[in-house]
Amino acid sequence: MITGYLLSGLVTGAVFAVMGAGLTLSYAATGVFNFAHGAVGFMAALLFYQCDRAGLPPWLSALLAVGLFAPALGYVLHRAMFRGLARAGETAQIVATIGLTIALPALGLLAVDLLGLPPADATALPRGVGPHPAVALDVLGVRLDTDQLITFALSALTAAGLWAFLRHTPYGLRMRASVDRRRLATLRGVDVDATSALAWMLGSGLAGLAGVLAVPVIGLDATAYTVLLFASATAAVFGRLRSVPWTFAAGLGLGVVQNLVAGYTDFLEQVTGLRTAVPVILLFAGLVLLNRSRERVAGSTAEDAPPPDHLAGVPPWRRRLPWALALAALLAFTAVGPEYYVGVAANGLVLALIFCSFVVVTGIGGMVNLAQASFAAMAALTCGWAYASGLPFFAAILLGVLAACAVGLLVALPALRLGGRVLTLATLALALLADQVLFQVDAFSNGTIGWPLPALSLGFADTSDPRVRVVLLLALVGLAGLLVRNLERSASGRAILAVRSSPAAAATSGLSAPRAKILLFVLASGIAGLGGVLFAVSKESITATDLPAFSGFVWLAVVVLQGVRRVGGAVLGGLVAAAMPELLAAWGLSAHVGAILFGAGGMVLARHPDGVLAQFAESRHRRRTRRRTRDQETEPAAAPPPRDAADRPSPSASPTLDRGQPSSHLDRGRSSSALDRGRSSSALDRGRPSPVLDRGEPVLFRLEDVMAGYADCTVLRGVELSVRPGEVVALLGANGAGKSTACAVAAGDLPVAAGRVLLDGQDVTAWPAHRRARAGVLLAPEGRGVFPGLTVEENLRTWLDDPAPAYERMPQLAARRAVLAGELSGGEQQLLTLAPALVRPPRVLIADEPSLGLAPLVVRQVFEVFAELRERGVALLLVEEKATEALAVADRVAFMRLGRITWAGPRSEVDADRLTAAYLGVS
Amino acid sequence: MVRRHHEVRRSTAGLAGALAVTLLLTGCAAERRTPATTGGAAPGVTATTVKVGGVLTKTSASGYSTKDAEIGARARFGRANAEGGVHGRTIEFVGAEDDGQDAAKGDAAARKLVQKDQVFALVPVHAPNFGGAAFLEQQGVPWFGWATGPQWCGTRTGFGYNGCLAPRKGAGSQTWWGRQMADLLGGARGKSVYVQTTDSSGSKYGGTTISQSFAAAGFELAGVNSGLPAAAPPPDWLPYVNKIMTSDGGEPPDVVVSVIAGTKFNVGLYAALKRAGYRGVLTDATSYDAAVLKDPASAQALEGVVAAPMFEPFESTAPEIAAFKADVQKVAPGATLTQHMAIGYWAADIFLDLLAKTGKDLTRERFLATANSGYSYENAGFGRIRFPQDHTEPNGCGALVKLEGGAFTVAKSLKCFDNVPLK
Repeated sequence: MITGYLLSGLVTGAVFAVMGAGLTLSYAATGVFNFAHGAVGFMAALLFYQCDRAGLPPWLSALLAVGLFAPALGYVLHRAMFRGLARAGETAQIVATIGLTIALPALGLLAVDLLGLPPADATALPRGVGPHPAVALDVLGVRLDTDQLITFALSALTAAGLWAFLRHTPYGLRMRASVDRRRLATLRGVDVDATSALAWMLGSGLAGLAGVLAVPVIGLDATAYTVLLFASATAAVFGRLRSVPWTFAAGLGLGVVQNLVAGYTDFLEQVTGLRTAVPVILLFAGLVLLNRSRERVAGSTAEDAPPPDHLAGVPPWRRRLPWALALAALLAFTAVGPEYYVGVAANGLVLALIFCSFVVVTGIGGMVNLAQASFAAMAALTCGWAYASGLPFFAAILLGVLAACAVGLLVALPALRLGGRVLTLATLALALLADQVLFQVDAFSNGTIGWPLPALSLGFADTSDPRVRVVLLLALVGLAGLLVRNLERSASGRAILAVRSSPAAAATSGLSAPRAKILLFVLASGIAGLGGVLFAVSKESITATDLPAFSGFVWLAVVVLQGVRRVGGAVLGGLVAAAMPELLAAWGLSAHVGAILFGAGGMVLARHPDGVLAQFAESRHRRRTRRRTRDQETEPAAAPPPRDAADRPSPSASPTLDRGQPSSHLDRGRSSSALDRGRSSSALDRGRPSPVLDRGEPVLFRLEDVMAGYADCTVLRGVELSVRPGEVVALLGANGAGKSTACAVAAGDLPVAAGRVLLDGQDVTAWPAHRRARAGVLLAPEGRGVFPGLTVEENLRTWLDDPAPAYERMPQLAARRAVLAGELSGGEQQLLTLAPALVRPPRVLIADEPSLGLAPLVVRQVFEVFAELRERGVALLLVEEKATEALAVADRVAFMRLGRITWAGPRSEVDADRLTAAYLGVS
Repeated sequence: MVRRHHEVRRSTAGLAGALAVTLLLTGCAAERRTPATTGGAAPGVTATTVKVGGVLTKTSASGYSTKDAEIGARARFGRANAEGGVHGRTIEFVGAEDDGQDAAKGDAAARKLVQKDQVFALVPVHAPNFGGAAFLEQQGVPWFGWATGPQWCGTRTGFGYNGCLAPRKGAGSQTWWGRQMADLLGGARGKSVYVQTTDSSGSKYGGTTISQSFAAAGFELAGVNSGLPAAAPPPDWLPYVNKIMTSDGGEPPDVVVSVIAGTKFNVGLYAALKRAGYRGVLTDATSYDAAVLKDPASAQALEGVVAAPMFEPFESTAPEIAAFKADVQKVAPGATLTQHMAIGYWAADIFLDLLAKTGKDLTRERFLATANSGYSYENAGFGRIRFPQDHTEPNGCGALVKLEGGAFTVAKSLKCFDNVPLK
């Protein structure tokens, strides 16, 4: 019997494996974890079903759905959404793909409705790709049907195909190179954007295949596809979200485990839902054990810089006026509006109170919690249970909120170890566990009937009157607002914000990230719990199905769409969520339209991660700035306008930074380059050489008055550099002078704010890194320029079509061609970095700290390579902190300090004084 | 940008304090209030009309839909209006709201119908997760439909067309399914039955009542299994089928009862059982659906299945069924008859009967008083109904149909049996 379970479990696992492989592939290649992967599978299955009903042969329908539609959908999503998301914060990524999970199936079902196609509901009984009805066969003593065999065969074929594609095609190599070191891949001429598009097409194709293979079993049920996603997410987690083969194996294993659990664990039958929840439990375990985040701690995302506060310059009364007016309007409506609509508003405010917890946990804490609905349900059910057990109502409410806090604490504990997406997945697992197991305990949830609750009496009125509810809830939301405000301004709030923007810096400043995180999570759970209790009170009953885990997804999408950093966004979100069904009904629109609208918010988020409220503020700010600029133009004689405080991106952080520097820097950073160029000679009193060049050879590569930086920090403040063919220019300077930034700008890795980059006289400023690399500008970045996860041979192939000549030049690499580059010694890695350049010399080679951390013998070898390249006419730009070796090969030398070239000239003019001056900043 | 210094130094103690205040504000005022009463003129009633509307699960993420109940109700109201209405009042049917199988949406829908649309009663209510029960009970608004969940039971306003199908322990539980099956098989003596449910508390409860029904009829219980995942059918049925095939002392049982809603589940289970060589009787409550037969694989899997509808089958020759079919034809020409249509139709039928018995002077109080003081009504379409008794137990009536050669035939006509107390 056990062989049977194993064998047929592999068939089940094949679907998980295919779907999980797509999930891992797209995540690893693009950095976006696609929660909508199951929804893509559903769409492919839907199309397959419709094609089949339209009379196409099943193999053709499957080919259309899997081979054409799913990759096309992946491509469209890449263009419309994922591409923008790759650089957005993690919160925006998670929310956007969750929005897609809601919108995509709704879009499909709406299309089916509108086009009058055969309905995709429970009456739809989709067939499989194979014969219909499926034919039973005996395989190794196990009875399987043709659909199962086809599933297994196709997934085996897919596994083999994926392996061949990734290992033996240039596309696969590029994709793996981008997965391994995305930035380095661009520097090697890999178009990461095209690679991402390919990854999304492939990932969607795999989701589509899994969808079509699963549809004869699970039917056209969007929820079932979400469940399928969780199972495959478990497989992906066991593949550490990196390894496609391991994901595949884990998927197959999961199928077997499910069968064994179903076959041999009757003793678990007493606990309803526990056996169904096995994949979820495994998901949780896998997350905690395997996916300890290497880069981040305590669930923080360092990319989530707060948005500029465009209203900072507006007086407080002006900021509050719209809210005060809205509040007055709401109260007036409450007083005179019809009871039904006041009830709707009250429901909206209940949601607003729950949404305030998102402001705390996501807006302030930078963590995404998908279990918020479960916290609310938890509190409401506990309250109902306690009240039914005879506790006074007040004590029951308190107990409910405390229960939510306690669960929050339980989640926060593993959250300390997990970061970003992993934390989100863990809260998702928790939400499902609560739904499937905890809320199924009859003693807790009172079966499907739930608990009745009384209305709250305030002495003169009670909450069965919606007017009373509105006023009570407004007071509570106001308190939550105060709480959030105090939280942001309190010592712990500062600590949390500090942890969020830089965990490492916060830790070295003695701030305890774990404590701050726990506090946040517990507070947020408490608020969600209070909201849940009030939800139950206004409904006067609570059942386990009132607040399903999935509603937490929709809530998150709604609240983030309005802006998750402020209570205002939460209130607006709550009212919108409550009013939407009314509006749809009034306009006679399908309920799918609402889902599509909320989901489409995800696409908006890809571009504006801070919600619509921040959008309004920003567009208003832009209008005002434009008007001010216009005013200035009309008064040219006026004194230079004072820099408005509102112009500063981050009022709390930037003044100290700005004050510490000469005002000319500030002005240069902000004024136009044309103005700058005119002013530069007078503004600079240091001995800067004329950029005019006097040697015979024409300049091959040139940085022209380049300014660049990161976000609100300008690093390069007008850099002039040029390199001729067959010349070595050494760029020297102390740590922090801006050398690596100059390299990044040269290679196209960092966009310039002003100035130009010229290659052979051609303006390549706008070219992306991969295009510059293909044109012959090669950057060997700081550290080692190798892909540690690829073999030596594969590393060479990223730049060379045939690596044989490289082995001839460097026999020590030939001996280790099948070894992973990450396992080589530091010296070997540096040689591997430079070896391709020897075989296929670039036109310009930029080497950032090539001698860093190498043994002297290896350093000599490396510089021999540079000497040889110079002989072959390569223009070399060597960036070094340690000057000695670089000076030995350099033809010309440039010193850099505080983002400027302070001196440039021939090697012969460099002496000890000059060096000292360059490094110590004395002239 | 003014930022006061002292605010920055506020500690978390202040936050905890604010939360405590919040709680106090919520909790101190906790007290039970008196239920709202409705008085005076009945909402939704005029001299010539009575306004009603329903709540159905028209759409849901799982694809389950009861939308056909609207056709059934409309058909029955159409007949009543054609006959001149009840006490001179015609029925103004505003249609049915969709709750999307979401309890909170069901509550909102009930509030909308009562507060905004001002209906007199909710007909039909047919939604497995209906969330408006507490509101309707508190407002004293009658609601009619299929009482599959415990929210219906023990109320004074919720009227299941065949009683409460989720009785509490000690209340009456149905025996008709087991007894009808025993009659069909020529006696239950020595025959074993296996009950398969999914891993959810609702389905497990169904497993308990149905096992009891078969035990009451004299069947021997070979096993009750609730291992099936509730959310989606398992891709692989082998472990479940293995259990069934060896449940009766190593042999397959004589009867397998599936307590699973969802055609994909049942088709999957039956197909897998047949592949494994099962030759016994398969029976469930949901497979009586002619639409399913359009799909050859489903038809093959369901062939021979004995479905158990809780109304007189459409294939019956009873005049009530002929009237039902004619009424549906008028409202939805050419529509395939479904269980949901019958449920909507019979729920509307009972509502109309109560409307007639309440008399010309119509208020919700009078209506509920008539219904809840020894009301009894018999109809060959659904058997009989008695209130208040059937607020807490099922009416005990059911029929069996068998799928033979791709068509349903009446195996046992609708018949009512005595309930037994639920253990």
